Amino acid sequence: MSANGGRVTFDNVSRFYGEVLGVNRVTLSIPPGITSLVGPNGSGKTTLMNLMSGLVHPTRGQIRVLDIPPTDPERLCRVLGYSTQFDSFPRGLTGHQLVFSFLRLFGYDEVTCNRLAGAAIERLRMTEAADRKVAAYSKGMRQRIKLAMAIAHDPQVLVLDEPLNGLDPLVRAETITLFRELAAQGRHVIVSSHVLHEVDQISDQVILLSNGYVVAEGQIQGVRGEIQEHPMQVLIRSSRCSALASKLFEFDHVVEARLVEAGSAVLIKTRDADRFYHALNHLALNGIDIEGVAPADDTVNSVYEYLIGEEGSR
Amino acid sequence: MAVYKRTYKPYEGSLTPGWSRFLILPRAAYTYLFQSKFLVMYLVACFFYPIGCAAFIYISHNLTFLSAMNIRVGQMIQVDASFFRYFCGFQGGMAVLLTAFVGPGLIAPDVTNNAMPLYFSRPFSRAEYVFGKMSLLLALLSAITWIPGLILFLIQCSVVTGWAAQNSWVAGAIFGGLFVWDVTLCLIALAISAWIKWRIAAGGTILAVFFAGAGFGSAVNAIVRTQYGSLLDLRQVISVIFSQMFRDVAPPALSPSAAWMALAICALICLRMLSKRVRAFEVVT
Repeated sequence: MSANGGRVTFDNVSRFYGEVLGVNRVTLSIPPGITSLVGPNGSGKTTLMNLMSGLVHPTRGQIRVLDIPPTDPERLCRVLGYSTQFDSFPRGLTGHQLVFSFLRLFGYDEVTCNRLAGAAIERLRMTEAADRKVAAYSKGMRQRIKLAMAIAHDPQVLVLDEPLNGLDPLVRAETITLFRELAAQGRHVIVSSHVLHEVDQISDQVILLSNGYVVAEGQIQGVRGEIQEHPMQVLIRSSRCSALASKLFEFDHVVEARLVEAGSAVLIKTRDADRFYHALNHLALNGIDIEGVAPADDTVNSVYEYLIGEEGSR
Repeated sequence: MAVYKRTYKPYEGSLTPGWSRFLILPRAAYTYLFQSKFLVMYLVACFFYPIGCAAFIYISHNLTFLSAMNIRVGQMIQVDASFFRYFCGFQGGMAVLLTAFVGPGLIAPDVTNNAMPLYFSRPFSRAEYVFGKMSLLLALLSAITWIPGLILFLIQCSVVTGWAAQNSWVAGAIFGGLFVWDVTLCLIALAISAWIKWRIAAGGTILAVFFAGAGFGSAVNAIVRTQYGSLLDLRQVISVIFSQMFRDVAPPALSPSAAWMALAICALICLRMLSKRVRAFEVVT
């Protein structure tokens, strides 16, 4: 196994659908653990997932999943489990029949398929509903049976497109626990989401996508530090917000000063944190009343907003 | 990043042969299909004519019965190549209606529901998917066409000593002609099912390919003053192929090579249509 044998790697990968850009010049090396792909609709999350699942082949560049090229589906599909964002199942099947039938496509015998299907369904706490028709399942149950299908053949890499969509809070918590268990076993759990709060909770690292480009990757804090050219946000509470904003805006490292919270606070965006705090101290010493200072960008939401803009933060 | 325990162990048991995996698709689908009472009734009806033929073959060689009914052997219809040729034509027509009923539900639900990635994220190719879906319909069509045809052939062989030696080629004609027809029907049904999502419209389109094709072909013949418009009429095309296989003495309206060419073009068009739609993702244009 090569140095990248335990990783999912993209080497300068581009995918175009005719003249439409899917993803462009993506270079990634995804280690085991939970990795979240985050981006607004059309940012390329599903294309990236389809690329690593071998469902779409790159126009340019190379992909390796644990050193297996996606052009070798016989090997790739055995180490990779994929759950699509779509609720779609062949008609007339029960939950167990569904998981069982798709396991048979791997070439396992009936006894093994029954055992694996039962184990996967039990792991998703779907045993009671296993003999009911999938068509009668609720949205959350469908999500869970899709997850059962994805994990049933015990893959090392799980690629899950919007896996928490439609789950109620309790099941969501259970599913997140499952992801953590799978990751703790040394697997790759790659999930996509546009619900940023979820990413904060579950990810070891995030990959931020916008318009087909990877705009940042790494641990959430690391992503923030990595993008020094993007401004940092600081929320300052003061009794003289207008004056404070006006003074701060005179500094060249402050790129934006905006009154928020009905004028009781100023949201500052600065490119140079050290110089900003030095200037703030200076203003405080010169009579500007400052009630509180708090960083406003330690969550993924703010990083996301910085990187992708207003579209991403919605 | 946390340091994770490495406890993953992949499946290392035996695998079923790769060639047999396509059979998983019809296995699940038959259960659903036979819930339709109409389909079951129609399938039963499809066996009336073969059963009648079997009874006729038996009776026509049962001298006790014929004498009791005061019928001379020569008065009965001869069981020969023409008998089987007519059988093929009749059952081929029944197969068209069965295709129009079963065909629309083959691929359309998967395309409509974006279910293709479910299949292709497993070790299962597009060709295996098409072959699996095709096998579902092909098995049903075979059950009402060449399988009863060959059974009738065997019955005839068993009741007339020496008949098989002189007419073994008839068995090849029954199987070859009807199998080609069945495959053509399957390809047309799959292609239409992949493109037309609404079941009734898809069923209507399958019938239109056969019946409207005949009318359109006749119109072309009349306007352009040619016979080649008949190539648009698939029933005429297969009739020419049956004539060639059953060694009809009457010259067909079209040359057999033109008929084969028409079928090949039809198959290529269907495969192209399938190639465009049977894929794991929607192509953005």
